[in-house]
Amino acid sequence: MKKKFAIPVILFIAGFLTLGMLSGFINLEQKPWPVPDAAKNKKNPVASNPESIAAGKALWSTHCKSCHGTKGLGDGSKAAQLKTEPGDFSKAVVQSQTDGALFYKTSEGRDDMPSFKKKISDADDIWSIINFMRTLKK
Amino acid sequence: MKKFLIIKNLLALLPLALLLSITTNAQDSTANDSEPETPKKVKPVKNTFQSVWIIDNQTVMVPVKKTLEMDIMHRFGTVNKGYEDFWGFFAPSNIRLGMNYSPIDRLNLGIGITKSNMLWDVSAKYSIITQTPKKYPVSITWYSNAAYDTRKEPTIYDGSNIKHSSDRFSYFHQLIIARKITDKLSLQASPGISHQNAVSGYFTKNDSTGQEIYRSMKNTHLSIAISGRYKLTEVTSLMINYDQPITKHPEYNPNPNLSFGVEFNTSSHSFQLFLGNYFFLSPQRNNLYNTNNPFDYTDNATGEKKDGGKFLIGFNITRLWNY
Repeated sequence: MKKKFAIPVILFIAGFLTLGMLSGFINLEQKPWPVPDAAKNKKNPVASNPESIAAGKALWSTHCKSCHGTKGLGDGSKAAQLKTEPGDFSKAVVQSQTDGALFYKTSEGRDDMPSFKKKISDADDIWSIINFMRTLKK
Repeated sequence: MKKFLIIKNLLALLPLALLLSITTNAQDSTANDSEPETPKKVKPVKNTFQSVWIIDNQTVMVPVKKTLEMDIMHRFGTVNKGYEDFWGFFAPSNIRLGMNYSPIDRLNLGIGITKSNMLWDVSAKYSIITQTPKKYPVSITWYSNAAYDTRKEPTIYDGSNIKHSSDRFSYFHQLIIARKITDKLSLQASPGISHQNAVSGYFTKNDSTGQEIYRSMKNTHLSIAISGRYKLTEVTSLMINYDQPITKHPEYNPNPNLSFGVEFNTSSHSFQLFLGNYFFLSPQRNNLYNTNNPFDYTDNATGEKKDGGKFLIGFNITRLWNY
């Protein structure tokens, strides 16, 4: 009886490890994300003040933290399951982008990154999230 | 039981606290008095509650346009038998599956089915006003539903058979008034009307001089629910809720309900886990027929003293999709 189960168990473990390795390779990929110029140059209409940052932080905790992590390091609880790299928001590669570019990416989404323009229907709330993202800079 | 009396008294003070907060603190909770007055866009207050449900009651929240929501609600048996039925987990349970959709802003339409009585319900919820600094001190939402008992051999509360299809219907209407007092604390008061089409009774007089009928319950029942939410973190909250029956019936008077628990929110889900007295997962049936009392009480019909503390464990899960 033991032999009967041995082969399926070995196959299951082998498959599990192979998929795990593949997902590891996929994680390394990060393709460019072009942003239209008009969106890139859009000015943030919401002033970065404690009120806006607090509102952005609250929304970040609900909608972004599970993948991007509490401090935006890309180490959220769901990050390991993603096919795409969630990025490190404390680094220049994110912080050097314009508010408009970050707004575009948050609103539109791509692959694993969901589009938030319908879920967060007030655009000013997304701008507040961008204001909070700026506080993650190291 | 003294503890329950204290809780009962505190809950009675909640509407007063809500009113006081309206009169003394009608500013946006995030406003900073020390800042100079600058003209800026005044926006309605958001996230007074983070789910359409607060345990067994509706909240003032109406999801944004084109939001589809799926509800899974579960109530176990009462905890009083202890290990015998594993504190109610292995007792007969009640389940409701529901779907809601917001076709336009401010309006939410829903449909659901509940295991108990195989009860189908349709509902409509409309946000009349939303709390806005210097404009509206509270948010007000209207909720109505109609429910239909689809069992093969339906009965009413005392076991009498239902003879006409129209007697399978029951209704519930509620005016929900809520205020986000601070970023963490929201309070809500919701007067409601439940209506049952069928009640049991008999003729006390039926002759040429006329008819007089004794009815064991009234068809229409008034009640009020007081609810509160306190955020521990951005995604975790404590919830408390109390429902008080107002209408007095000749017999079968329903018991009040006290419930409390925690809520966890994610981008698309809300999970609520709680203890409460309501079992039926239908607001009209809960308000009309609740036999689980949180407090010790005296049965009016028999004069017998009865134990309270009839709590059961329950959970609500909601999943949102935005189209």
